[in-house]
Amino acid sequence: MTGDRPPEWAYAAALAGLPYMAWDKLAGLLADGRPSAAWRRVAAGGAGQPWRHAAAATSVAEVEAAHRRAGVAVHLAGDAAVPAALAADHEAPAVLFVRGDAGAASAGPMVGIVGTRRCTGYGRDVARQLGRELSSAGVGLVSGLALGIDGAAHEGALAAGAAPPVAVVGSGLDVVYPRRHAGLWERVAAAGALLSEAPAAARPEPWRFPARNRLIAALADVVVVVESHAAGGSMHTVRAAAERSVTVMAVPGPVRSAASMGTNRLLADGCPPVCDTGDVLVALALERAGAPPPADGRRQPEAEDAAVLELLGWEAVSIDELLAGTDLTPGRLSVALTRLEHDGWARGRAGWWERVGP
Amino acid sequence: MIASVPSATVLGVDGRPVTVEVHVTTGIPGYTVVGLPDTACRESRDRIRAAFQSSGLTWPMKRITVNLAPSGVRKGGPGLDLPIAVALLVAAGELALELIAGTAFVGELGLDGQLRRVAGMVSLVGALAARSVVVPSVCAAEAVLVGRHCVRSAPSLRAVIDALRGDEPWQDLPPAADDVPTPAGDLADVRGQRFARWAVEVAAAGGHHLLLTGPPGAGKTLLARRLVGLLPLLSGDDALEATRVHSAAGLELPPGGLVRRPPLRAPHHGASPVSLIGGGSAWLRPGEISLAHHGVLFLDELGEFPVAVLDALRQPLEEGVVRVCRAKASVTLPARFLLVAAMNPCPCGEGGRPGSCRCSDAARARYGRRLSGPLLDRFDLRVPVRRPDVAALLRGPAAESTADVAPRVAAVRGLAAERGVRCNAELPATHLDRVAALTPAAWRVLEHKLRTGSLSARGLHRVRRVARTLADLTGALAVVDEEHVCGALELRAELDALEAVS
Repeated sequence: MTGDRPPEWAYAAALAGLPYMAWDKLAGLLADGRPSAAWRRVAAGGAGQPWRHAAAATSVAEVEAAHRRAGVAVHLAGDAAVPAALAADHEAPAVLFVRGDAGAASAGPMVGIVGTRRCTGYGRDVARQLGRELSSAGVGLVSGLALGIDGAAHEGALAAGAAPPVAVVGSGLDVVYPRRHAGLWERVAAAGALLSEAPAAARPEPWRFPARNRLIAALADVVVVVESHAAGGSMHTVRAAAERSVTVMAVPGPVRSAASMGTNRLLADGCPPVCDTGDVLVALALERAGAPPPADGRRQPEAEDAAVLELLGWEAVSIDELLAGTDLTPGRLSVALTRLEHDGWARGRAGWWERVGP
Repeated sequence: MIASVPSATVLGVDGRPVTVEVHVTTGIPGYTVVGLPDTACRESRDRIRAAFQSSGLTWPMKRITVNLAPSGVRKGGPGLDLPIAVALLVAAGELALELIAGTAFVGELGLDGQLRRVAGMVSLVGALAARSVVVPSVCAAEAVLVGRHCVRSAPSLRAVIDALRGDEPWQDLPPAADDVPTPAGDLADVRGQRFARWAVEVAAAGGHHLLLTGPPGAGKTLLARRLVGLLPLLSGDDALEATRVHSAAGLELPPGGLVRRPPLRAPHHGASPVSLIGGGSAWLRPGEISLAHHGVLFLDELGEFPVAVLDALRQPLEEGVVRVCRAKASVTLPARFLLVAAMNPCPCGEGGRPGSCRCSDAARARYGRRLSGPLLDRFDLRVPVRRPDVAALLRGPAAESTADVAPRVAAVRGLAAERGVRCNAELPATHLDRVAALTPAAWRVLEHKLRTGSLSARGLHRVRRVARTLADLTGALAVVDEEHVCGALELRAELDALEAVS
């Protein structure tokens, strides 16, 4: 039977899977002794009845099998595979679950790009551009794979295909959340690494996300907030970064845009602004690497189209606002907008139009 | 002695002939109604008896049996009071049989002997085979609309008896009034909002279902109410059909009796499925969608309607009729309407502008689930409405009025009639290549949209129909150009702004 005994990491994963097992409680349980000993103590009721019942319903062998099936590696504090930045953190994870190459998180300078899920087209464009250009410059990206800014930054980094991207997520590594990012999730795992403090099959419970944000702050050398509402979840990451003396930078946005309330407030509070990728590279004390930005390959709009493009702002405008600023008939205006969209100058969505960056 | 008098009852919006037979014989005095009467018929005894006394007639103290034939069909409503009273007088020997030969009667009696209005008079009279028909004076105008009968009217039971006996003349029929009520509001009231005004014009011209989305206070309701004023007046059969429905539902009819102005029905979102679709166990009353026949059905706060109610709209939207079936009867009610709906883009109402929504993802997803995809697909025009500029509200130039736009709408409807349909929205997909041929530039735009997946095959036909309407409005009769296709695409905005976040 001794040959079939689950490895120590399986006990650690089983402990991490107990209900409401936050990282600090887990660290407390694992502080004195091996995970298997801690497991036996919990199973005997030494850590309270709820966990005793939960432990009684858990098979460590099944936990082990689930992680092997999902291709998830489990690293305990002190393992060499845990990225140095995390191991050295004062709130270091007790157990780290990894898909892909954990070395991606310590390969070079890392920038965290975070922001709101309810972003504007402007925020999405900027996040994608920063992800792409930073990756080309050899800077790794760490983000949360959420909808909106996070996903756009990951997409940009993957498009550049240079420095490997890292994602820290709030669910088990076999529970894709958000579902819409299933494709992105796999691509990040293949090109870089997916990290989590949640064991396989763990649901994306709300309490896991603030803890996840501290890991992003811990891994990053600079955190860039692209767009954030006044009280958005990105502010967790900002606070965690401030505690760790990690530089926080913010992308300026229109003062009337709700999605830029938080970032503009950060700028007012003294965060350095990010106007282009160079600003981030300077903050990392890197040379402005790489070629100058590629020439705009889009076909220059002509006549009517150019006049309509003038009217389009970086903030979304409704078609009514556009009509008020032009003598064109609605039909002619929609022709111009369709052409601009086709050539990549503008994007229309549910009757709102905005410019698209190069 | 036995007497029989022809009359009719209404089921749904159709009249059904009924023969009222009364048998009076010696025996213990009593009064029985047989032949599936409803409560209102059964209660006729008390009304008729009081009306007899008020009219100075004697109630026969005999055994009275009233039979409503055919006895297998359920009869409803109080419209059978008058025929029962007349048949009773004949059976009791008070009135000579030959005086009522070939005459049908419809009317409700008051306790004082006055004749009251009966709902569905147009359908009732339409179902009668008799040469002449006697109706209450208050609904003589409705009865005349059918045009096949010699309509006689009287204000009371006493007047009916006197006129039948030849003691008094029948009351004069009301003169045919042909004035059409003016619409409630003018399109010029909508300031700014050029795009939304344009969408309303296109919806009216092509009969395209319209969905307005926008924050509270953007004027969605105002726009919808102005749309109905743009529709051409109903003519001939259409007007009579609309009148039949309104009459059957007991609605007040316009002065001339004929519904010529396309109706606007705006049920509240608390409406039950039966009130909207039609039905009810006894009477199968037409619902709001039938009352909107040939007019506009306006559903404000579309997202608040129960899902079951909205899904029930799909069949009538497709077929122009609704079939209401109950255990005892089934009827087909007309329901060809222009659907105009308004909703907030999300629960907080600000969701249209990217990045400005305050709702949680879960709340938005819940809101989105309330509307079924197939229903949303029925809207050819999906138009975001934003709050008008203060400047436009206060000092904006006066926009075109209903009187300016309505002729354009009528012209486009005329073009559709030449193509053999009521409006462009009804053009069959197989005819599109013939009547809505596209220029190469227009094809390129559609091809790109199809390739990028932002347009489905079904959406393609809908866009082409709207483009046909846009071309008609600009006077481009032959082909549909890029301008019209782009306009049609712009008028069909995707709804889920959340999808943009990726």
